[in-house]
Amino acid sequence: MRPNRTRWKFTANTAAFLFVVLAMLYAGSSQQNAAAYVLLFALTSIGIVSIPHAVLNVSGLSGRASAIKPTFAGQEANLPVEISNACRSDRVGLKVRLTGMSHDFERLDRIPAGKATRATLRFPAAVRGEHEVQGISVETSYPIGVVCVEKSLPVSQRYVVYPKPAGDPNLPVTTQQSAHDRRETAISGGDEFAGVRGYIPGESQRHIDWKAVARGQSLMTKQFTAEYDSGRLYLDFRAVKSRHVEDRLSQLALWIIEAERARRPYGLRLPNVEVPPSLGDSHFHHCLRTLALFR
Amino acid sequence: MTSSRLRDTRIPRKPFLWLTAALLFTVPPMFGTLAMWVPLLFVSVLAAKFWMEPRDYRLRSAIWKLLLGAVVLAAVFVTYGSVEGIEPGVSIVVTLMSLKILEAHTAREFQVMVNIGWIFCLCGFFLSQDFAIALCVLIACILLLASLLEFHSGSGAASWWFPLRTAAKILLQAAPLIVALFIFFPRIDFGFRWQLAGSRMAGAGFSGELSPGGVSSLANSNDVAFRAEFPDGRIPRADTLYWRGVVLSRGYGFEWRAPTAPATLPRSSRRLPAGPPIRQSITIEPHGNKWMFALDWPFELLSGGGTVAPGNYLSSAAPIRSTRKYEIVSFGELADKDLRPRERERLLEVPASIAPAVRDLAQSWSNGGSNAVETVSHGLQYFRDQGFRYSLSPGEYQNNNIEEFLFRRRIGFCEHYAATFATLMRLAGVPARVVIGYLGGEYNEYGHFFVVRQSDAHAWCEVWLPERGWTRVDPTSVVAPDRVTLGFNAFIERRTAGASAAQSGGIVDRFTRSALLIQTRAAWQALTYAWDTRVLSYDEGAQYSLLSYLSAFAAKSFSALIITLILVCLAGGAAIAWIRMRNKAPRDRVRVVYEKFCNKLRHLGVAREAAEGPADFANRAARLLPGRSERINRIARIYIELRYAEPGDRGLFPQFRREVRAF
Repeated sequence: MRPNRTRWKFTANTAAFLFVVLAMLYAGSSQQNAAAYVLLFALTSIGIVSIPHAVLNVSGLSGRASAIKPTFAGQEANLPVEISNACRSDRVGLKVRLTGMSHDFERLDRIPAGKATRATLRFPAAVRGEHEVQGISVETSYPIGVVCVEKSLPVSQRYVVYPKPAGDPNLPVTTQQSAHDRRETAISGGDEFAGVRGYIPGESQRHIDWKAVARGQSLMTKQFTAEYDSGRLYLDFRAVKSRHVEDRLSQLALWIIEAERARRPYGLRLPNVEVPPSLGDSHFHHCLRTLALFR
Repeated sequence: MTSSRLRDTRIPRKPFLWLTAALLFTVPPMFGTLAMWVPLLFVSVLAAKFWMEPRDYRLRSAIWKLLLGAVVLAAVFVTYGSVEGIEPGVSIVVTLMSLKILEAHTAREFQVMVNIGWIFCLCGFFLSQDFAIALCVLIACILLLASLLEFHSGSGAASWWFPLRTAAKILLQAAPLIVALFIFFPRIDFGFRWQLAGSRMAGAGFSGELSPGGVSSLANSNDVAFRAEFPDGRIPRADTLYWRGVVLSRGYGFEWRAPTAPATLPRSSRRLPAGPPIRQSITIEPHGNKWMFALDWPFELLSGGGTVAPGNYLSSAAPIRSTRKYEIVSFGELADKDLRPRERERLLEVPASIAPAVRDLAQSWSNGGSNAVETVSHGLQYFRDQGFRYSLSPGEYQNNNIEEFLFRRRIGFCEHYAATFATLMRLAGVPARVVIGYLGGEYNEYGHFFVVRQSDAHAWCEVWLPERGWTRVDPTSVVAPDRVTLGFNAFIERRTAGASAAQSGGIVDRFTRSALLIQTRAAWQALTYAWDTRVLSYDEGAQYSLLSYLSAFAAKSFSALIITLILVCLAGGAAIAWIRMRNKAPRDRVRVVYEKFCNKLRHLGVAREAAEGPADFANRAARLLPGRSERINRIARIYIELRYAEPGDRGLFPQFRREVRAF
């Protein structure tokens, strides 16, 4: 699709409007009623004049999208967008939707001249994997709904959909468990503060040392230690008793969630990848992302 | 996403308010034309809807909908006795649409309700094309537009007058198009054979016959019958403003009728009378009959689709169902002074049922061996001297009883006098007939035209006198001379003035006589007249003559055509340029200058990265170009201040531009 393209759409409203106009034409001509003619011409002219108004109402708009947070299949994904109006007149009565998603839209009732407005487009994330937003479109039926004008705005965002968690919530029995395996590891998900290290983009922002940022230092992540009461847990793709790949991935996703909740370090073993055991937000998302991108 | 769906299911409140206001303005035409319960039903449905909407009540059950639909259809049928004709048709539309309004409940159906509003506007024009109604419809249209604007802008409308202002703006922008379409859109009948049957109201005005009470029933109606202009500026005296309507030559006592099928008086049989021609341009309101009016005596119809019938009155080719404008030339007298014997015989016919006393009276006027002129003056003398009184409500005369009128009660309206006098003249051997039409009219100072109302309806006589031909005799003028000279309303006013002299001086009385009110009324009349003449009477014929005039003009002066075209193109171009300018993004001058600076640095080998902020870029550039580092840092500092700080120092931007230029 060509970016920034504006096109008109005729809707049921257009048909109803045409019906009314034709009824007036019929009435005016069959009754030789000059007043009905005046009304007919007024309505026709208003309909015609409203078209440039509608086209102008989407002119000068541009869109920008922020990152989409990963989500599980079957849930909703959120695309934060910012629509800005570069023109000297306000824009009213806009509907923003994702290109290709015809049913859901977000209303933007007003974008003042030279300003921008934010909206969050929600859309269902049905299939796991990495996807790309194809662009967004802004449409308006302002001023009188005779035509609906749609403008496509080029927006590019990639996003990841994790497999839908499903299956048996009980974690598999660990094989490498031993009594003296208890030890402390510096990981980002513990209880006791252990120090700071440089922030790695993608890490959870919860552990950023904001006080240090306020002092003018660069972003640092606080490290915590935790005690593990059980041995390392490897979640193995081959160990899942299911024939379908998707079912296995779902089971693994569920286990990852359960293990994270139980605060047990877990690793992931897929036919082509292996993630060493760990715990914490970034590990959690890393594992799920690995599952999502699995082929 | 559930939120946007939820928002979609309810009719939003503010647009609904606008819509309600608009629909209320479509009601006035319904009152007085439709059966009373129809507009009342509509208004109460609106009120009910207004109450129901916030409570989320609505008409849900399909059975109820069908039942109510059947009930209103039956009610319309019972009220009118049929479903044909304009009033029952409009009633059906209005009642069914009312039910639809009761049922509508989603935002999607809002558009349907607005379309109902447009249809109601149309229905209003079916019922009446009055100027007042047109104003109502105009207001309704603006409010409908406002409701649409409010609806489609979501809650984006900044204030309550935003939709109203935008609606007016759109209407103004559409105005040239409306005018152009109105002038040039072909008024063709699209071959629709089926037509709505004529309105039941048509026939306002008098019918094709004269019967006791016929004219006096009109006297209370203030409706306009027609308006007349005198394009040549020759305005006749008030007492000669006899607007000829129909000639009734078949007499049955008090009842007189017109010949069933008026033939056309061939033009060749008419000779040009002496005296100055009186040209009139008349805009007639629809009355559903074929009568057209003109001053005595109409000679030739210049435009407007009618003929001069024998008896020298106008007759339209088709019933007048819409406002029509025509031009007519009249002369103060008739050139044709002959009466063929067969015609004379017919014009002396009287019904056999006339009482002997009446016959004797008539014979007594002619027996003195006198001529026709003397007979007529005898007759007038009788009415003058025998204590006849003129009254709007003379009471009823049983069985066509001229005798009772002449000898006992002696009270009547113009129709009684005209009918009786014509009958008596025939009995006395003078050919006579009755003419009905209008007498007088009200002169409008603003528009320079006469307004003739239904209350000006009048009936008078014509007698055929040897050598002089047809002569107008108005027996009313001897009974109530002021009626002829003053005009009906003024006459009635003067007569009641005596009675109410004791209570005069009341506020209402003073108000109705105040100069301001009279002026306002006259101005309103002029506007109405303009609406009637410029808009309502613009039909196929008027369009044809305007277009042929324009094409003749264009052919004659080709340069004028070219100049007009150029002007139209220039105006259109200017409008487009103005719209483009208004919608272009304002130029960011700080950015333009900064981009110049970046370009200069690029030529020096330091190109700004896409994601590099101005501070980082300046640091890097200063490192790479140590010789210019001071200036680079200064420019970057000013740029950041201009861009991100609160606007403050006005001198900063010129300094910025100087620095960049000097760089």
